[in-house]
Amino acid sequence: MSSETKKILTTDGIPLEESLKKSERKNKIKAFLLVAPLLFFLLITYVFPIGEMLFRSIDDRMVSKMLPKTYVAMEKWDGKELPSEEVFEAFYLDYKILVENKTAGKLSTQLNYEKNGFKSVLKKLARKQKKFTEGNYKEQIMAVHKRWRDVDYWRAIKRRAPEYSYSKYLKGIDMYENEDGNIVQVSEDRRIHRILWTRTLEVAFFVTVFCFLMAYPIAYLLATLPMKYSNLLMICVLLPFWTSLLVRTASWMILLQQQGIVNDFFVFTGLVADDNRPEMMYNKTGTYVAMTQILLPFMVLPLYSVMKTISPSLMRAGKSLGGTPFVTFFKIYFPLTIPGIGAGCLLVFILAIGYYITPALVGGASGTLISNQIAFHMKSTLDWSFASAMGLMLLAGVLAVYWVYNKLVGIDNIKLG
Amino acid sequence: MKKLSKLLLALTFTLSITSSAFAVVVASWGGAYTESQKLGYGDPTAAKLGVPIDWVDYSGGLSEIKAQKEAGAITWDIMDVFAYDTINGCDEGIFVEFDFDKDFPPAPDGTPASEDFFTDMPSKCAVGNILYSWNYAYNSENVKGTPKTIKDFFNTKKFPGKRAIYKSALTNLEIALAADGVKMGKGGENIYNKLEAEGGVDRAMNKIKELCTDPNGGCVFWSAGAQPPELLMSGEVVMATGWNGRFFNATIGEGAPIVQVWDGQGLDYEYFALVKGGPNEADAKKALAMMTSTEMLAGSAKYIAYAPWRKSSIAVMEAGEPWYKDGKTNMVPHMPTAPANLKSYFLVNAEYWADNGTELGEKWEAMKAGL
Repeated sequence: MSSETKKILTTDGIPLEESLKKSERKNKIKAFLLVAPLLFFLLITYVFPIGEMLFRSIDDRMVSKMLPKTYVAMEKWDGKELPSEEVFEAFYLDYKILVENKTAGKLSTQLNYEKNGFKSVLKKLARKQKKFTEGNYKEQIMAVHKRWRDVDYWRAIKRRAPEYSYSKYLKGIDMYENEDGNIVQVSEDRRIHRILWTRTLEVAFFVTVFCFLMAYPIAYLLATLPMKYSNLLMICVLLPFWTSLLVRTASWMILLQQQGIVNDFFVFTGLVADDNRPEMMYNKTGTYVAMTQILLPFMVLPLYSVMKTISPSLMRAGKSLGGTPFVTFFKIYFPLTIPGIGAGCLLVFILAIGYYITPALVGGASGTLISNQIAFHMKSTLDWSFASAMGLMLLAGVLAVYWVYNKLVGIDNIKLG
Repeated sequence: MKKLSKLLLALTFTLSITSSAFAVVVASWGGAYTESQKLGYGDPTAAKLGVPIDWVDYSGGLSEIKAQKEAGAITWDIMDVFAYDTINGCDEGIFVEFDFDKDFPPAPDGTPASEDFFTDMPSKCAVGNILYSWNYAYNSENVKGTPKTIKDFFNTKKFPGKRAIYKSALTNLEIALAADGVKMGKGGENIYNKLEAEGGVDRAMNKIKELCTDPNGGCVFWSAGAQPPELLMSGEVVMATGWNGRFFNATIGEGAPIVQVWDGQGLDYEYFALVKGGPNEADAKKALAMMTSTEMLAGSAKYIAYAPWRKSSIAVMEAGEPWYKDGKTNMVPHMPTAPANLKSYFLVNAEYWADNGTELGEKWEAMKAGL
């Protein structure tokens, strides 16, 4: 039996299928052109910078290119004791070229990231090496500065040998790969990044919780009060939202400090003694209070927009079926607001995790968060690859939260309005 | 990928260049400081040279200029930077190296520039601009007695109450050792030797820790320069380290009961650096030489209590007292470099901090986390 069926033709003799495809293709191209600007925008402002960051965080070719002979000579070195004359000579020859090309500074910056103290030592070597005589470079180099006799500095050079490495990520969690190839922790008095990570997560988590606890009743009132009151309340929520972040932080400082307005009020009403004013700032309390207030609108608005769509008749129906107010709330109202809760919590958490001005100003000793550290490496040390690595780790953290949320609640279940 | 990013950055930077195509662009810190630079030597230089000088604000660090350079679209000619940054910028090839005595004019009496400046430059790419001080001050209404030395800052028995100190380790380690009995030595040499020696840093950190955990003491960490006078005036702390210009403003400008203590002060500097390959490098070089001449540097001290780098500028000020813009305040005694204020001081060692800054920063944060 023949499987051939007669094709349906259009009036101009082209098969209908093809003609349809053609017109659809046109539409597709049109649709694509419409979204193309957005796609292009996302590509260059989002995908591309993140790709560049990722590349920067693992790219370590600069050092390997600057010290080619040294790394060849170092291949045989086991890293246990001071390297042999051969390595010293190769290093001297490499470094001499760098000094002549005036790029020695870049090497000293890079090596200083790996181990502090390289900058001045290399600079001194740059001055002294001009007078070096041939042969016995080990002695000559070691005579320039005592740090060249410290095997740790040579290990640090060796650690930068690979062209691509994940060592910046290890550094981000206070680990490094030692000369035996084991991944170990850095010395105890320098373990700071993990403290900062946990502190950042802790602050973000509690701020989110506090925001939720405070925003829920406000949003409920906004959604249920008559228009003339809810408008006023809405302005109260939005007004601080429109005020500069620094101004709000500074006003919290005026309110919360020990000689501040809140404490004055406590003393005035006799709640506390004048010489025993509680500390509400330059500690975690201050951070939580100020950040919660600043991030509150980001929780209120999504909650409000979701609550606005919940018909009041649902609650009435629940009550008429015999539910107590408590039961109807938790069985009917609360589940309906979950999309708003999800949106609000994610929003606040993500904003809080990258915050740093407010904690730096009101947080006291505990006011340094991981973003301060990133800024420090961006601006002061210029170690952009380490800053990139930490930035990506932060991003990975946010994505992890997003993933957990998706598993628990489902990402479709999110609603901003 | 690299190319595209360059293109992008280039685009943004070319967009940010506006009408100032022929002006010399100086990036500085903004606020009262830039105001003093503009009025003190910026405008007079521009008038003499016939080239406009534009001042743009930035928040310190080399990240912006590095990005401009990577994009191949440099928009700044001169930058006002910390010592630490002149070292890093010089190493990275961002700044022009100077031939100091050739590039900068001698003092009026013929002393070559390199001898007229208060100390040597930290790198070949730097020319001094102002000296300022990390000293401490107290509110005379809240403190019984008169603190006189750096040891008093750490003496919580005699002067109970909280102290405000800078949020990072810079200068805190130095004063801690000085208060712990280490002699300054010439320009603080001894302090830095001790810090480089085994256990020196721990000793300094412990001293700070002791102060911060003392029930009679306690620490508030400040991050912005405006905070120390504010903390003193509100009574939040009894003593605070800070920058002398800010304390000066609070005392002379606003009449606050704040008294500065110069014992154990750390002298720190601001520098100008010339950006390599800036849009107007030739004019910028001329402008820079003129701005850092004796008369011009003295000019900025009319508006702010930071000392001009050149020793010869002080003579100009002395001859013109009262030098401050209010027409009645003698400026020289308020300078960190006034002989009465220089009895015990250290020069903030940029090389030490460039070398060890990151590691000390980590140790410092770890110490703070344990408070």
